[in-house]
Amino acid sequence: MNLALIGLIAAPLLSALLSLVMKSQGSMERLQCVHAAVLLGTMSVVVTGAGGGAELTVGNFLRTDALGAFLDLMLAFVGATGLLYALGYMGEELIRGHLSLRRYGRFFCFLNLYLFAMLLAANLDNIALMWIAIEGSTLSAALLINFERTKTALEAGWKYIILSFVGIALALFGTVLVYYASEHVLGVRWEALQWSELHRVASDLNPTALELAFVFIVIGYGTKAGIAPMHTWLPDAHAEAPTPVSAMLSALMLNLALYAILRLKSIVDPAVGTDFTGPILLGLGLLSIATAATFMLIQRDYKRLFAYSSIEHIGIVLVGFGAGGPVGVFGGLFHMINHSLAKSTAFYAAGRVLLRYGHKNMEGVTGLLRQMPLVGGAMLLSTLALAGLPPFGLFVSEILIATGAYVEQPWVAYTFLGLLAVAFAALVYQVFRMVLGEPKEAGIIMTPGGNRFAAVSLMANLMAMGYIGIHMPGFLSDLFIPMTRIFNSVSHG
Amino acid sequence: MVIHPDIGSQLVNFCSALLLLTCFAIIAQRRLSACVDLFALQSVFLAVTAALVAFLTGAHHIYIAAALTVVIKAMILPRILKAVIERLNVTRELVLNINIPSSLLVCGALVILAFYITQPIISLGFLLTKDSLAIALAIVLIGFFTMIARKKAVTQVIGFLVIENGLFLGATAAAYGMPLIVELGVFFDVLVAGLIIGIYTHRLQDTFDSVDTTKLTALKE
Repeated sequence: MNLALIGLIAAPLLSALLSLVMKSQGSMERLQCVHAAVLLGTMSVVVTGAGGGAELTVGNFLRTDALGAFLDLMLAFVGATGLLYALGYMGEELIRGHLSLRRYGRFFCFLNLYLFAMLLAANLDNIALMWIAIEGSTLSAALLINFERTKTALEAGWKYIILSFVGIALALFGTVLVYYASEHVLGVRWEALQWSELHRVASDLNPTALELAFVFIVIGYGTKAGIAPMHTWLPDAHAEAPTPVSAMLSALMLNLALYAILRLKSIVDPAVGTDFTGPILLGLGLLSIATAATFMLIQRDYKRLFAYSSIEHIGIVLVGFGAGGPVGVFGGLFHMINHSLAKSTAFYAAGRVLLRYGHKNMEGVTGLLRQMPLVGGAMLLSTLALAGLPPFGLFVSEILIATGAYVEQPWVAYTFLGLLAVAFAALVYQVFRMVLGEPKEAGIIMTPGGNRFAAVSLMANLMAMGYIGIHMPGFLSDLFIPMTRIFNSVSHG
Repeated sequence: MVIHPDIGSQLVNFCSALLLLTCFAIIAQRRLSACVDLFALQSVFLAVTAALVAFLTGAHHIYIAAALTVVIKAMILPRILKAVIERLNVTRELVLNINIPSSLLVCGALVILAFYITQPIISLGFLLTKDSLAIALAIVLIGFFTMIARKKAVTQVIGFLVIENGLFLGATAAAYGMPLIVELGVFFDVLVAGLIIGIYTHRLQDTFDSVDTTKLTALKE
């Protein structure tokens, strides 16, 4: 099982190096398909291994508990479908002559490095090394966002770099403060940075230092997670990045940044009490939902629309964790995985639309269901899921979070539901205009190869989304029980 | 040779204060290449502070971090930045969002804020490096402010690097240094970040014919 964990992390790195020496589109497709299969295989071993509260460890470096395995599940699954989708998307661009074979190879190299950095961050047992890995994912994302080299992509990339580098620097200051607090209990040594040790001695740590650290880390990683008011890079980056990258940013990187915040929360709560972290997360969550709902109403660009919807959903997860209690935490976690699946599906569909019409203007896109039945259908279904309609999992998690919030503070639940209604109306109104009606533009006909890859990735995501919405599979509930325990060992103390 | 702890603490504080002073000098400086020189000088002060802490505490791995600071931050990065400045021909006066006297006042206020924020946890620290955490936070905040107050892409980069220096001072002085592998990782990241920002500034120049970031206004609601 430890071997599977190492394999899971090493596979993207290896594939990144091999991507640079691929000589043709066909060989790249074979390489990435094998890579995706390895990711799925090793991930399923890791997830079963970490189920029911067990832990996988490799030396002092790697440790995968239920929360880590949960991240691995999302990263590997959406990472694998994202790779397949990227083969179709970038392959189309390659055939149209928009990019050279060399840049095609580089794209996959950067994308794999990005995946590698995120998988590493989710499994490291060291708070400072995790920072380094997250910084690594920031750096590789900076190269990916600007990949198309247009003026607007450059602008989006520059905004992303400045905001997230500053953010990540603040997160490092927070990390130093955690170390500052923990070395008094554990001494100046390696263990003082380990999550497992920090968790063990959490209640003995200096509360003031941890409060300060939490503020820095929420601002720092919160910038990466796109929490309002630090979200301003997010819509630009999502709109301008190549679409497979937008999907990975939304479905994976935001969750990874949230993961870092949640890990720290599980350390801060025993030392300070939930009364400190709860209101901060609740406030930021509600602000994010409100901001996103407002901007979704006035969007003209469908990729920006989905980007704002991501801000909304990150806000919902924060409300879940802020409200706390087993119900809120479970709701928040369940929301993370469902959002990850639904949002990547929405972006995959949006990317096909972009390839077909060559623009991102919603006004020019109508009748998707008739013109591109699979893509239009996928966009419709993922929108219904994102809007929070049954039978999808996001409905369940939103109800749970509202219940959790109601138990704590009824007004929070009312505000939350009110804001969700606005976001629901905005998203459904905008997307229905695109999928229904008569097609206006014929667009460019796409190659069957690209369509095949897109169909596989869309179907895989939709099936996974439908499956966990209707029935909670055993391996998932084996993860959820120990995860909720991580966050609720405190509330009784 | 054993140095009396009080004198050691005074020395560390003195060096940290020099770091803070160079921050003010960067804020007050109008010429871009002089800003880069001041950043290099600040990195040297940082290395001296780190070496001092290493000497006084016997934590030898900090020497390696100090040496890396000199090589990467005082030599390599300033050289990259100077090359960028030369190529872009932006040695002229800096474009300021906020004029120099008010910038200096804001920075003074930021220093007070930093001391105020860290006051409750300062007593936790080691005797030797008591006030360095506050100074480190002040440097981070001033670096932050530099990024906001200056328009040219290169000065924003300098602001970012000043933030990194502040963080390094925080880690070294307040916590007697992170484990070596962590320090190495952070250095690697800073170096790669510097390179990526360098690539971006080149592209900004090629695409917009300027590194004035106020021209980046196409994307908005």
